[in-house]
Amino acid sequence: MLLKSARLTFGTLAVIFLLAPLIAILPLAFTSSQFLTYPIPEFSLRWFDELFTAAAWRRAIFNSLVIGGGTTVLATVLGTLAALGLRNWNLPFKGTVRTLFLLPMVVPAVVMGVGMQVLFVQFGIASSYFGVIVAHTIVAIPFVVVSVIGGLGGIDRRVELAAASLGASPVTVFRRVTLPLAMPGILSGAVLAFATSLDEVVLTLFVAGPNQRTLARQMFATIRENISPAIAAAAFLFIVGTIALAIIALLVRRQIAARRGG
Amino acid sequence: MSELRIRFDRVTKCFGSLCVVDDLELDIAKGEFVSLLGPSGSGKTTLLMMLAGFERPTKGRILVDGAVVDTTPTYKRDMGVVFQNYALFPHMSVGDNIAFPLQMRGVGKAEIAERVARALDMVQLSALADRWPAQLSGGQQQRVALARALVFEPRVVLMDEPLGALDKNLREQMQLDIRALHNRLGLTIVFVTHDQSEALTMSDRIAVFNKGKIEQIGTPREIYDHPQTRFVANFIGETNLLEGTVAGRSADGLRVRLANGAELTASASDNYTPGENVLVSIRPERIRLDALHGGDNQFTAKVADSVYQGNHLRIQLDEQAHDFVIHLDRKAEQHAPGADVTARFQPDDCWVIRP
Amino acid sequence: MSGTGGKGHLSAIALVAPLFLFIAVFFLWPLGTMMSQAVSDTAVLRILPQTAKVAASWDPETPPTAEMKDALAADLRAADDRQAVGDMTRRLNSAQPGFRTLMSRTTRALRKDDAPPLSEIDERWDDPRFWQAITGALSPTTDRYLLAAVDLERDVSGNIVAMPEEASANRDIMIRTFWIGALVTLACLAIGFPYAMLIASTEGWKRQLLLGAVLLPLWTSLLVRTAAWFIILQDNGLINAVITGLGISSEPLALIFNRTGVVIAMTHVLLPLMVLPIYSVLISIPGNLMPAAASLGANPLRAFVRVLLPLSLRGVASGSLLVFMTAIGYYITPALIGGAGDQMISSVIAFYATGSANWGMAGALGIVLLVVTLLLYAVYGRLSAAEERRS
Repeated sequence: MLLKSARLTFGTLAVIFLLAPLIAILPLAFTSSQFLTYPIPEFSLRWFDELFTAAAWRRAIFNSLVIGGGTTVLATVLGTLAALGLRNWNLPFKGTVRTLFLLPMVVPAVVMGVGMQVLFVQFGIASSYFGVIVAHTIVAIPFVVVSVIGGLGGIDRRVELAAASLGASPVTVFRRVTLPLAMPGILSGAVLAFATSLDEVVLTLFVAGPNQRTLARQMFATIRENISPAIAAAAFLFIVGTIALAIIALLVRRQIAARRGG
Repeated sequence: MSELRIRFDRVTKCFGSLCVVDDLELDIAKGEFVSLLGPSGSGKTTLLMMLAGFERPTKGRILVDGAVVDTTPTYKRDMGVVFQNYALFPHMSVGDNIAFPLQMRGVGKAEIAERVARALDMVQLSALADRWPAQLSGGQQQRVALARALVFEPRVVLMDEPLGALDKNLREQMQLDIRALHNRLGLTIVFVTHDQSEALTMSDRIAVFNKGKIEQIGTPREIYDHPQTRFVANFIGETNLLEGTVAGRSADGLRVRLANGAELTASASDNYTPGENVLVSIRPERIRLDALHGGDNQFTAKVADSVYQGNHLRIQLDEQAHDFVIHLDRKAEQHAPGADVTARFQPDDCWVIRP
Repeated sequence: MSGTGGKGHLSAIALVAPLFLFIAVFFLWPLGTMMSQAVSDTAVLRILPQTAKVAASWDPETPPTAEMKDALAADLRAADDRQAVGDMTRRLNSAQPGFRTLMSRTTRALRKDDAPPLSEIDERWDDPRFWQAITGALSPTTDRYLLAAVDLERDVSGNIVAMPEEASANRDIMIRTFWIGALVTLACLAIGFPYAMLIASTEGWKRQLLLGAVLLPLWTSLLVRTAAWFIILQDNGLINAVITGLGISSEPLALIFNRTGVVIAMTHVLLPLMVLPIYSVLISIPGNLMPAAASLGANPLRAFVRVLLPLSLRGVASGSLLVFMTAIGYYITPALIGGAGDQMISSVIAFYATGSANWGMAGALGIVLLVVTLLLYAVYGRLSAAEERRS
């Protein structure tokens, strides 16, 4: 009995610790006050208005969409190709190559940033959209590779052999069988790549110019310099977006599982 | 034998230093149902994989309809393969699965619809065309896999333990269904299994595999009644194997002297010379327990153990009768352990094998 | 398809190659650049090529020669890149204080057509110490940044000695980084291990809720989470509102811009990395082991200590490594929640790189952080490889 109530108490406190910050920030998005404090004097949408009308925030949102989109395309294409290649890799160093592709997830962003800052100037891509997309792609790649390798790992090789025996050429097997079956993994890799780019600050600090200031970079500056409830409004959008994506992902996965028997 | 369809011409397949198929020769006629039977690792599945084009022989050639196919990629071989786990496309409906090979061959839409419907009808799944594979039972998935492998009327149908995952009743039903389809459509089927009763039920001929070689090939009756090696006699069904030497010939057959000095008369195919060491195989269900009269092929002994097994009674005798195992009709009177009995069998029912 | 022949190899390589090249150019090359920054030292050599030639035969114990002074004057006259001259001056000033004023006075004087000899512009040009600083900085490679990263330097005769106490704080920063990393790891372990056990022992919606509570923060933007903690921890934030409202304390507690805030926020951010590895190990333990231990006579505590704990230790090790490895590289949370005394090694690197353009120091500290992180990752990799082999 004692153990049970201890478990209940601990579980409740831990869940509060994990979720309270995310919940606490939400109502502040609707404050009419200049300050990010409770109690909220009046309900207001002024900070969302600010988010979508103030030049700095608008620009930041636009930049995040452009850079996030570019990163998603580049990382998904490169990562998917590499994961497909690794699947058929019968040569030595398979593990080494894989580890190399996952390394950007491990190396601290600041360490990468120092080298990129110097080198990108030499390449002539510093303070350009391309440079920021390249930097974001580096940190997004591991997520795509892990997710696509996972998706490909779930494909029964015999299904592909069956397709070949039924008359499908290698290209057709890929197009009609391998690719559709790998698609959930590729899509979740793409979503993760976009999310990574959206949230990236450190590399952006190092390689982006004032014209490439992203939403995350703008939020970082806002918290650091003149914190305003606009940050809560941005956070509100992030959290709602995350939950929406999670629910969509869950539903899609459920539907696929129902069809394919999980 | 009718027209030749498949020939394995001294085929060897090695993975590194391990050769799982060793210098193997096998001919399969058009319209024949041949089972490749053997324990796991005996090379039977590898042989099938080479025929389908998933693997290439290390040495030797495979001919289909007289043409060497070793360099032909799988998708041009025109062979229907049924896999052990069915390998249905999980992202296509049942109908699309069956339509797939027809689409690959550029068949027109209307004809595809008609042939898919016919194939579904053939495996009695017409109502399930729009279902997804994961929504089907194992037996239904098996039927879809079968329909998919047959719908494009391939030259050969290859089946790799297709019934292994089904429960016993369903498996026996499917055995009869596949057998019936074979007879009706005149299919050439190569069927891999490790289940000897399945092979006996379904096949025109059985090739018994052991360690990359074919130990014996023949009709189910030949394989069961007249095994040529100790391995085949042991692998197919249960048998009593007695060691002895050839003593001579009599009118009824070959006289064999057993280790304890007793003699029996057995049938044999080859010429055996007196003094030669041989094995005698006697199937448990061919031995009777009664004490009618003296004479050949009789042993008096005590019952060591007696077990009721549903459709028969399994009796084990003591060492006076060479620890014989006997299967009796279950209606036969109970032989309790310790009972004195006489075991008797016909010369026709015991078969001499070279050890 | 079968991929057994050379064609299969070729297509695999062709598919992997684009990413391989991309990673090589935009990830490995920058890391290499960062490392070479740490040992490269051409700021002085680039501006003073003639001086370098002449000074090669100079004995540092003797007064500077006239040829050296002439060569230096010629080099400075020829230098037209003001930024590069500034870099050189900064480099020399860090070796010998006073160079900044000396250089600006000298370059200003040299701009006139009838400039006097160096000794007359400034008498410090007769001081061998300034020339020793120049010759010491002429080598294109240097270990001074790497040494400085761990608070060491070379004395005049080239021996490696400890820096004076007040000169550098890098060792303190590293100790602080590891200390904060350890605190966060311990806090994550203290919450994460029982939490993972709790998830593993529940079923149905309770398990979904507990898992979701871990996953939602993991999926949420790091900036959002940091901003949330900023709001909660600030002086008039939620926690202080509760504390003053209940009359526990009349003054708000200092929770932000100090160590407490950093540890709380980082624990929240990194907790999922501790919970998930432990959880995945726990659910792979067959559920009947604890009843089995009980049936063999172990009370619940003994069963836990003898059965569950040893089996889950790998998850604990993986989770702790993951948290610690990530924590020591953290930049954003300490930068926003921490005070000046809570800045970790990443902040210092960022300061050197973006604030003072001291690439050498940034690179050297970067190498230290990189090496430590990769070592920890190698241990982590071995652990999880062993885990994979077991299951």
